Amino acid sequence: MSTSLLDVRDLAVRFRQAGRDVPAVNGVSFTAEPGRTLAIVGESGSGKTVSCRAVMGLLPPSAVVTGSARFAGTELLGLSENDLRRHRGADLAMVFQDPARSLNPTMRVGTQVSEAIRSHLPLDRSAARERAIELMAMVRIPLPRRRYADYPHQFSGGMRQRLMIAIALACHPKLLIADEATTSLDVTTQAQIMDLLLDLQAQLGMALILISHDLGLAASYTDDVIVMYAGGIVEQAATRRLFSAVRMPYTKALLDAVPRLERPPHSPLPVIGGRPPDTGALPPGCPFAPRCPSAADRCRQQAPPLLEHEPGHRWACWFPCENGDPG
Amino acid sequence: MNAGPLLEARGIVQEFVVRDYGGVKGGVVHAVSGVSFDLWPGETLGIVGETGSGKSTLARSLLQAPRPKSGSVIFQGTDLVTLRGRRLLDARRHLQMVFQDPFGSLDPTWRVVDLVEEPLIAYRIGDRPARRRRVSEVLELVGLDPAAYARRRPRELSGGQCQRVAIARAVALSPALIVCDEAVSSLDVLIQAQVLNLFEQLRGELGLSYLFIAHDLALVKQVSDRVAVMYLGKLCEVGPAESLYTDPLHPYTLALLESIPSPDPAAGRSSAHTAIHGEPPSPVHPPSGCRFRTRCPRAQERCALEEPQMRTLAEGHSVACHYPLPAGASPRPAASAAVPQRQPGA
Amino acid sequence: MAAPLPDTLLAPGVAVPAPAGAAARRRRRALAPDILIPAAILALIAGGCFLWPLVYPVPAPVGGSILSAGLPPFSPGHILGTDPVGNDILSRILYGGRVSIEVGLAVTLIGLVIGGVMGSVAAYSGGIVDTVLMRVLDVLIAFPALVLAVAIAEGLGPSELHVIWALSFFSVPAFARIARAGTLRLHGQTFMLAARLSGTKAWRILLRHVTPNVLPQLITFGLLGMGVIIILEGALSFLGLGIPDPAPSWGNMIALGQGTLSAQPVLVLIPSLFLLATVLSLNLLGDALRKRWGVR
Repeated sequence: MSTSLLDVRDLAVRFRQAGRDVPAVNGVSFTAEPGRTLAIVGESGSGKTVSCRAVMGLLPPSAVVTGSARFAGTELLGLSENDLRRHRGADLAMVFQDPARSLNPTMRVGTQVSEAIRSHLPLDRSAARERAIELMAMVRIPLPRRRYADYPHQFSGGMRQRLMIAIALACHPKLLIADEATTSLDVTTQAQIMDLLLDLQAQLGMALILISHDLGLAASYTDDVIVMYAGGIVEQAATRRLFSAVRMPYTKALLDAVPRLERPPHSPLPVIGGRPPDTGALPPGCPFAPRCPSAADRCRQQAPPLLEHEPGHRWACWFPCENGDPG
Repeated sequence: MNAGPLLEARGIVQEFVVRDYGGVKGGVVHAVSGVSFDLWPGETLGIVGETGSGKSTLARSLLQAPRPKSGSVIFQGTDLVTLRGRRLLDARRHLQMVFQDPFGSLDPTWRVVDLVEEPLIAYRIGDRPARRRRVSEVLELVGLDPAAYARRRPRELSGGQCQRVAIARAVALSPALIVCDEAVSSLDVLIQAQVLNLFEQLRGELGLSYLFIAHDLALVKQVSDRVAVMYLGKLCEVGPAESLYTDPLHPYTLALLESIPSPDPAAGRSSAHTAIHGEPPSPVHPPSGCRFRTRCPRAQERCALEEPQMRTLAEGHSVACHYPLPAGASPRPAASAAVPQRQPGA
Repeated sequence: MAAPLPDTLLAPGVAVPAPAGAAARRRRRALAPDILIPAAILALIAGGCFLWPLVYPVPAPVGGSILSAGLPPFSPGHILGTDPVGNDILSRILYGGRVSIEVGLAVTLIGLVIGGVMGSVAAYSGGIVDTVLMRVLDVLIAFPALVLAVAIAEGLGPSELHVIWALSFFSVPAFARIARAGTLRLHGQTFMLAARLSGTKAWRILLRHVTPNVLPQLITFGLLGMGVIIILEGALSFLGLGIPDPAPSWGNMIALGQGTLSAQPVLVLIPSLFLLATVLSLNLLGDALRKRWGVR
């Protein structure tokens, strides 16, 4: 029995599309603890966003979700929309990538924050307004009282993202999921937002899940990392450990492919060919085998299970890397 | 061949009028305010800047789409700004562009073969069989098998493949310079690496020069010989890529370097909150004097009164700052050719 | 807190598996019931109206004998009966249908071609060209169509051709608006800039880039609009401003049948049903194509 705040087990998601079943997530398990940050890393189509939306109950009706996602003991999957709404905001909150689309352009920002507050807390309008201004100050929006009446288009991208965070934190949720929340921001703004998130986490004792394709972000700001590929987890460990002792060739490929400041100009990037597979048409065996430089026959025939080969470090590979070199 | 620069940009200024409600002039966006640089044959010049820096506007101004408000763009000896119509087209033949959105830069109703053939038709190159041969040639060059891909439409291609088609189209006319405007920013990490390697490969095979524009300094540094840093319409610093990294002179360059999260956990968390603060100002009302002063931890009185001019402080390395950083200000360990070592075990 | 839903299931980096079976899938999708059924109904009606009298002898739609007036449906030789003047109803339906379809098609095509070109050119050129063309269209829109129809009918005499003119005043600005909006939306697209930078001339861009991208919107709008035109023709004829007596059109058949509505309701019912079937099928087909082509 686990005491984790969020305990996801064997989560699987399929989409019903034009009579076919398209799997998006294949049996994913992870936990989130208060005060700790988990990164879920993967490319597009890896299933990272779909997994978290499944936990939040934000998938379209064509999605079939199986498995379990327990939040503080309560099973979230299969809850009615009303019950889910009670949890969202108060217990779990999510911040998305594009603040321009998540904020209502015709509503004043202060009102949007107040509304989020009043949807869960029995406060009257002026109390909610005060609280909203407090929140805006907490996310370091300058002159919150004056900017309460402004519209989203009067804010920069970074400011809008802070507003989204304020709205998400309106009722002090215990878990915050940031889905590529800084991807569309400048790197300097990203650094500010990430510092803000971690400070808020320390202040409020939240659990934080960061979904990103940016390994650098994961390495610098998180405690634990999950790497996803083709709808499943391929490697999972504490951040320090994973980045210093990469085992899964896919993770290694990702790390190698990121441009580094330390590399001299014109150095060729170690690259693997091919593209992420269609999760609806996975070949037998390891999904990464077609592109893996270390792939052998066994990899193509039998899918490696995700096992804890070393304490605190799980991976799914028959021929893992040793000390940074391919196995 | 003349030994001068391939491209000389002098004093490029580009502005847009912002229309208020009712069409009344509401203000002017000073997108690019006097940018000058040289680009030499065979080199890759990187331009890095964040949102509002004006880098994409600069790229389009160079191609005269639209023509800059003032300044000159001398490409292969001819000033493009002074040309119109057919003469502009002819002068611009060896200057091509690859855009950020792989799907958006290809007409969804066209097939790959038509997309790549389009510039050949516009410039009346050869007859149809000759053009088709060139299209096949160029598709192979970018790693797409003509037999499999020529008849496909963009919706049947992945992002990386679309970008390859865009590159094929750019290369079809044998250009001398390709402007890459965030050309890999929308691609996944592994695909991005593939396309970057393709750029390098073509550079060697075809003798191309690049103007590589991006917001990711690590990316720009990886592919460029020299790098220019842009902020709010002006160039802050220009220099060899390696020097910019080991000895940044402009506080903004330092802030960029410090903000980039490293995949090496040994590098520790970036201390960005000491390097830069506040929000980028609006390009409609840029700050007086040095435009970076409102966010610069080193700003003094002089910075508000007098705009710093670009001056050369080291070999090929110039900066526009009244109080440039001392040597060796880089936040990272000294550059080595090796990828950072990994320690075995936890 | 409303959340944006995931909009793609396959990663943008994943290629849709190519041609093996894609052509077959396309064929099967083209035959999907939501397209096939309305299309079949329209084909049936149009085919009937234009082809039946050519292959199967049908009594003339005018000049019927008063001796066979007012026959009910299923009478020998007159499967739908006859009207008070002795004309065979089926025949009038068929010939009347020709008129309705001709008017609908002609007005739609005029609108599509003239309006489409005006709108696209205006949006692509921008500036003074755009302003001038749009003001011309504003003038056209300002004309109340019905009053115009009256004026034309009074001044030049009612006829099919005049109906087509009058209704074109309606359709040209409507298509021009759609074409203009569509072209403006395209303008911001990078591939338009890429085409210009490739050196392609403006007319060629309009023809080969703008047209294929804007045509789906125009066609679906045209189908939906055709239904409206046919009804309007019906209304005009009903008011005596369209097809003159005794030449049939579905509209004036309904008008004429009004008088004997209680005695012979079929005279109104039958043309109404045909009108309904045609317009409904046009609407359904237009909607299905709009969904298929992803037009907003």
